[in-house]
Amino acid sequence: MKFLTTDQLDAFLGYVAGQARVVAPVKDDKGVVLFRPWAPGMPVELDVLLSKQSAKEYVFRQSETYLKFGYTMEGLAAAQTESPEVAHAAATEAEVAAVDVAKAQDARVKAFETVVVDPVNEAPAQVIFGLRPCDVRGFVQMDNVFSGYGGFYFDPYYNAKREATTLVAVTCRDPRSTCFCTSVGGGPAGTEGADALLTQVEGGLTFETFTPKGEALGAFPGFAEVSQAQSLYAETVKETAASRVAPAFDLEGVRDQLRENIEHGDWHDLAMRCISCGTCTYVCPNCYCFNITDEIVETRGERMRTWDNCFNPMYTLETSGHNPRDIKSNRFRNRFSHKFWYYPDKYDSLLCSGCGRCVANCPTRIDIREVVRTMGSPRPVTVTGEEA
Amino acid sequence: MATQPQVVAQVPAGAPSNPTEAKVRELAKAALAEGRVDYVIGWRYGYDRSQAIPAFISDPAEADELIINPLIHHNLVTFLKRKMPDPPNAKIGVCVKGCDSRTLVALLQEELVDKERLYVIGVPCRGTFERRKIEKEFSDEVVDIVVSADRTTVTATTRSGESKDFAFDDVLRSQCTACRYPNPRYADVMAGEDAPARLEGEPVWPGIDEFEALSAAEKDATLARVFETCIRCFACIHACPVCYCWDQCVCRSRKPKLVGQKVEASENLMFQTIHMFHVAGRCPSCGACDQACPVEIPLYLLHRKMNKELYDMLGFEAGVDLDAKPVFQTFKIEDALGEH
Repeated sequence: MKFLTTDQLDAFLGYVAGQARVVAPVKDDKGVVLFRPWAPGMPVELDVLLSKQSAKEYVFRQSETYLKFGYTMEGLAAAQTESPEVAHAAATEAEVAAVDVAKAQDARVKAFETVVVDPVNEAPAQVIFGLRPCDVRGFVQMDNVFSGYGGFYFDPYYNAKREATTLVAVTCRDPRSTCFCTSVGGGPAGTEGADALLTQVEGGLTFETFTPKGEALGAFPGFAEVSQAQSLYAETVKETAASRVAPAFDLEGVRDQLRENIEHGDWHDLAMRCISCGTCTYVCPNCYCFNITDEIVETRGERMRTWDNCFNPMYTLETSGHNPRDIKSNRFRNRFSHKFWYYPDKYDSLLCSGCGRCVANCPTRIDIREVVRTMGSPRPVTVTGEEA
Repeated sequence: MATQPQVVAQVPAGAPSNPTEAKVRELAKAALAEGRVDYVIGWRYGYDRSQAIPAFISDPAEADELIINPLIHHNLVTFLKRKMPDPPNAKIGVCVKGCDSRTLVALLQEELVDKERLYVIGVPCRGTFERRKIEKEFSDEVVDIVVSADRTTVTATTRSGESKDFAFDDVLRSQCTACRYPNPRYADVMAGEDAPARLEGEPVWPGIDEFEALSAAEKDATLARVFETCIRCFACIHACPVCYCWDQCVCRSRKPKLVGQKVEASENLMFQTIHMFHVAGRCPSCGACDQACPVEIPLYLLHRKMNKELYDMLGFEAGVDLDAKPVFQTFKIEDALGEH
């Protein structure tokens, strides 16, 4: 364990910025705290407990280009200048239509012959500084999905960034009333997934490392040796913080009860005040649903992955027009069941690290703790969609 | 299974704190007891007494949880729009403030909600708070907000017991400071005496003069900076009562593709501009979008500006008269001449 005096914090970040991009929580002109690329002179905000949005954006980008493509002009030009006589030779309208279809197909084939594909996977070294332990666990939980857990898919885009990223956490001195990390297996000084952990004590921060990536940051020459008093102080901060997180629910039996209650009418009641926006999932450190689309302008395009969310009315909309989650309460149910049932079934852990951002930022303050408590417990029997 | 410990999700409201609140509870209770409605949408306290949340009350006994105070910023009309009511044919009682009622009028003018299935409880409004203004004055979490009996002082208290007083007018939402329609323009029943308007005569548009004073380049720069933080969560349009094609939204559609999927300032602004044009003539600047935005984008810059233009050019204000034609469904020769 080392010690960093408060006045050395900028120097430390400057040192790190010399080797990698630094991303840190900073306050904007409206007073909103968000993770942003840091530059010397920018004050890092560690007193506001939680940034509005988690830092997942820096590993799992909201819009991420997989590849760029374009077709060369010859292909397109050829398609457009196809000789008109062929069409004139056709006698009936049906024949004209058939020729048009054939022409369009030809043009498409030619375009593909000349398509240029340029894969993109940029992953510069970065250090995300000032994460809370719940934010760090968010990455650990997303790792399962993208990093081949249980033989499932290994995603080169996510992993390139993940490997290039160092996660520096800061102990939560004063958890918010919406925090519930201790109910989902974490804690305000949790180290799971963290490369290093700072704890704010009098006069500065204690600095602990857990991985080679963390140790590399320890090479900063401005660190002092930690005194026994400082290290004891840090322990007290951690213990006090943990005692301030109110227990939100007991996980035992939740998964089974969610399964049991899947068609329960109470889902409708809980979803009533939901406006079906995506705020909860977009501020969440581990919601990971995404779309893949092509953005094309004339002959150039990008294939990109963008965040999706289960409250989006078009989520799981099928080509046929059918949507298995057409009504709000079905989409609502998906988010909580995914975190506490479907994901645990597949990855043997939870998809929630208890940061409480979804509670504090929901326009109507829907409380995930209330939902888990309600639907994760035995319910009186009702028929779906009808009053109890 | 172990006993679940309790974290309070909705704190109890207690005895009525003002006559309007008492009246709203009474009306809601009666409507439910008589079977006139399946549920009543109002407001109740959230997980602490510093914030209100929409309340869906179906049990008459629960009507005593309804609150009326300056925390009730949510525009509940959004829960009436297409695909929101559950079940779809529910008979709904709904509480509306002045600005909320104007959005309801806009929906009624377009015959998008069925009047017969509604029981509208009108709430005279003396302004609602911008809770974020208060929140930012403290480093700890605000858990209680109390208004003095004479409505001049607002006292906010944090978890650690730190308290600060604010002047009532200083913590109002900006549109409330210039409100000309504090009383519902449409309601089946009124819950109390009319509230005085903040402004008589010509409207003023808070924040818009400053924006208009900027040069074109400065406006561009402001909009780029403002929309850079948009996370495209669509909370603004879902909170918006008059944005009702929300599940068929052109901003998300791939065909036609008007807005790119890439989340960046220019595309975000494109999306917001579409929203602005689409609700023009129906938006009364109720500010539901501002309140819903998790990253606090001042969306009023667009909507209020549009409303100012509509007023200056056509003398039109959205949702003030149920019998009027919406501005984009009518044409008068004076409009073309700019002589409203």
